[in-house]
Amino acid sequence: MRIETEEKLVTAGLSATALISVIVLFIVVLYILLNGIGAINPEFLLEAPYRFEYGGIFPQIIGSLCLIGVCMLFAIPLGLASAIYLAEYAPDNRITSSVRFFVECLAGVPSIVIGLFGLAFLVYYLGIGVSMLSGGLALGFMILPWTVRASEEAIKTVPQAYREASLALGVTKWKTIRHVVLKSAYPGIITGVLLGMGKAIGETAVVLLTAGSGLESFLPRSLRDPVASLPVYVYMLATQGHTPDALSRAFGASLVLIAIFLAISVVALLLRNRYVKKMGRGR
Amino acid sequence: MGAQEQIPRSRFMTLNESALEWLIEKVLFACALSSILIVLFIIIFILKEGFPALALGTEFFFGMTWWPSRGLFGIVPTVVSTFIVGIGALGIAALVGIPTAIYLAEFAPEWMRNIIKPSVEMLVGIPSIVLGLFGLMVLVVAIRDNIGGYGECILAGWLILAVMTLPHVISISEDSIRAVPKTYKEASLGLGATPLQTIRKVILPYAKSGILASLMLGMGNAIGETMAVLMVIGNPNIPGIPTSVLDSVRVLTSTIVIEHAYVDWGSMHQHALFALGIVLFFVVATLNVITTAIIRKSMRKTT
Amino acid sequence: MSKIETVDLNVYYRNGSVHGLKNVHMKIDANKITALIGPSGCGKTTFLRALNRMNELKGARTTGKVLIDGRNIYDPKEDVIQLRKKVGMVFQQPNPFPMSIYDNIAYGPRIHGQKNRHMDSVVEESLKKAALWDEVADRLDENALGFSGGQQQRLCIARALAVNPEIILLDEPCSALDPISTARIEELLQELKREYTIVIVTHNMQQAARVSDYTAFFYMGELLECGKTSRIFERPDDKRTEDYITGRYG
Repeated sequence: MRIETEEKLVTAGLSATALISVIVLFIVVLYILLNGIGAINPEFLLEAPYRFEYGGIFPQIIGSLCLIGVCMLFAIPLGLASAIYLAEYAPDNRITSSVRFFVECLAGVPSIVIGLFGLAFLVYYLGIGVSMLSGGLALGFMILPWTVRASEEAIKTVPQAYREASLALGVTKWKTIRHVVLKSAYPGIITGVLLGMGKAIGETAVVLLTAGSGLESFLPRSLRDPVASLPVYVYMLATQGHTPDALSRAFGASLVLIAIFLAISVVALLLRNRYVKKMGRGR
Repeated sequence: MGAQEQIPRSRFMTLNESALEWLIEKVLFACALSSILIVLFIIIFILKEGFPALALGTEFFFGMTWWPSRGLFGIVPTVVSTFIVGIGALGIAALVGIPTAIYLAEFAPEWMRNIIKPSVEMLVGIPSIVLGLFGLMVLVVAIRDNIGGYGECILAGWLILAVMTLPHVISISEDSIRAVPKTYKEASLGLGATPLQTIRKVILPYAKSGILASLMLGMGNAIGETMAVLMVIGNPNIPGIPTSVLDSVRVLTSTIVIEHAYVDWGSMHQHALFALGIVLFFVVATLNVITTAIIRKSMRKTT
Repeated sequence: MSKIETVDLNVYYRNGSVHGLKNVHMKIDANKITALIGPSGCGKTTFLRALNRMNELKGARTTGKVLIDGRNIYDPKEDVIQLRKKVGMVFQQPNPFPMSIYDNIAYGPRIHGQKNRHMDSVVEESLKKAALWDEVADRLDENALGFSGGQQQRLCIARALAVNPEIILLDEPCSALDPISTARIEELLQELKREYTIVIVTHNMQQAARVSDYTAFFYMGELLECGKTSRIFERPDDKRTEDYITGRYG
């Protein structure tokens, strides 16, 4: 076979393979959309489940949002603070490289192990019990490395010239960081937070072990009470649902889950753009 | 000079300022240490809870039967199944992912890249439970109707996990291929080699370690994946060593999730589940270490 | 008493392996422009940065004394923050913050406690002193990065002026600018010296000759010669100075 023909064939083969990913995505999303859209109606979105398989998923929606709320309250300050330290203060020594190493370690822990840890430490050892607090904190542990990484990268991209200019004006290091560095790094930090939120909202195993069994049909009561959540509810419906309806509801809930994720992405994108524009304006 | 004279210059304030600066640095340092603390706590608690089961020794590590109600906690079938599922999924992901990466890096026109790359990235955004649901409804049924068996089997696990690992394999492999210095490519083409030959003989060998690293990472992801695989592989009550791809099996992750609701806290069963977690953690950690070693070795080669 | 005086100033870099400045004794007069010239790497920028302790950012070690208004700024009891308010700096590459012109100028005063109601006049005064007001008065809200190099550099000067310094250090401020912007800044410096003490590093000898009252010639980390600009350029004492000035090396 002439080399040219061979080349053409192989290239065609490669492009076909590459398209597989697109096709798969298409199929999956389409399938979920088609099967789930039937279940979406106002009652579905705004009511509570009734005898587990009927009614709506409102508590699950609110529950998921509350869980990410707690998760972010933990992971954002801690992650940002760690990133600031690593990027601006940390000397080049063993302690610093250990910190970096352990951040990477944490990123590599399988989510089910984080769930087990949450169970052993938060639920039992600290006695917080299966609750929104346990679930949120466990999720926070899981996404901490992502907030640290993204924030650190964002901070490192800020040009050194800005820091020098600020310091030369007699501004202290921390104030320089707060007023110049962080303001410039803000978009990148938002991206990291977004990434974390996306991971957290779809996470099932951790939540299943620490926040609720999926049988909850009430709105979030308090930090110490179990809480309903979308992914766990989908899991329950899929594995224990008996009515033909159950599956369609599972798909409906999945759609809502994906929709929330998309909404978070869009909101954060808008925030980023608005912020970038604001930087050009004064007072 | 007018308004400018109003900038306060009190000495007292600056003394407080430097104390504040010092304090802030210490607080930030403490926050940075949190990651270390969390990982250490994870290790401590998982070990603490899993140890009694590990202490069962050969009964645990080499036992062939996992039957908690009879007090049997042998993990061999589960571990074997985990590896079979993981390696198979990785194989498929590699088969599809590496050519895709090559295509994206070397051949794809701009508009195609703009379609394929975001699609691949979006796959990552789909929650694993949703993919699992899809797998249960579509893959399992398809296998049951067209090939045989219950449908919930290793094959389904392979396919679903492959879909989940694909994005990582593609993006890291593509980066590695792009990282090959242009000069090598140009030298090869300048000597009259075709693009394909250049890829086979120059680019791939150079990008080998990056691609390998992506595979190791992918394997770690596949083995650590919980929900998607749980929904499609069957999880029989008493797991055995599979003999065909149509067998239903259990893996480490699915066992933990399924059984955690039934254990009494403090029972050996509970300890055994944690011990499974230890084994899982260990395997994934080893894969990560290998990945890092591969990356480091390749860096040394090129610098 | 000179405004600035260095006594036995030595600066070491890279854990002591590089001796950037050697035993520099120099006096700088108030309300005059002093130019620091010399071939690349001769230590003139190091000297400049020693005057506001910016060398410390690169981990340098400094020995000797730098007296400003008679006080040694390297004394551990001295506050480096106050020092940097008193001694402003303009860098080689214009580096305005990615904020509006207004916020750039207001940045320093705000941090140091300036109340917002007087900020408008602070900003206007600083921009007028930097000869930038007429060009940007109606564009104060625009992002500073959208302006030309020359305007950005004058903005940096205005920003430095806003914190009310007494001394202004400029590190090759015109090297990234076109000749017209350069000329404007040189004019500006003549105006500014009436209120401030100016020290400027330049690799452009014509600029030094045009602009400065005093010139100091640095060579391989040492201060070879220092004196009235007219004398240095017409009758330098040291042959190496003469060689540099006449362009035998650069």
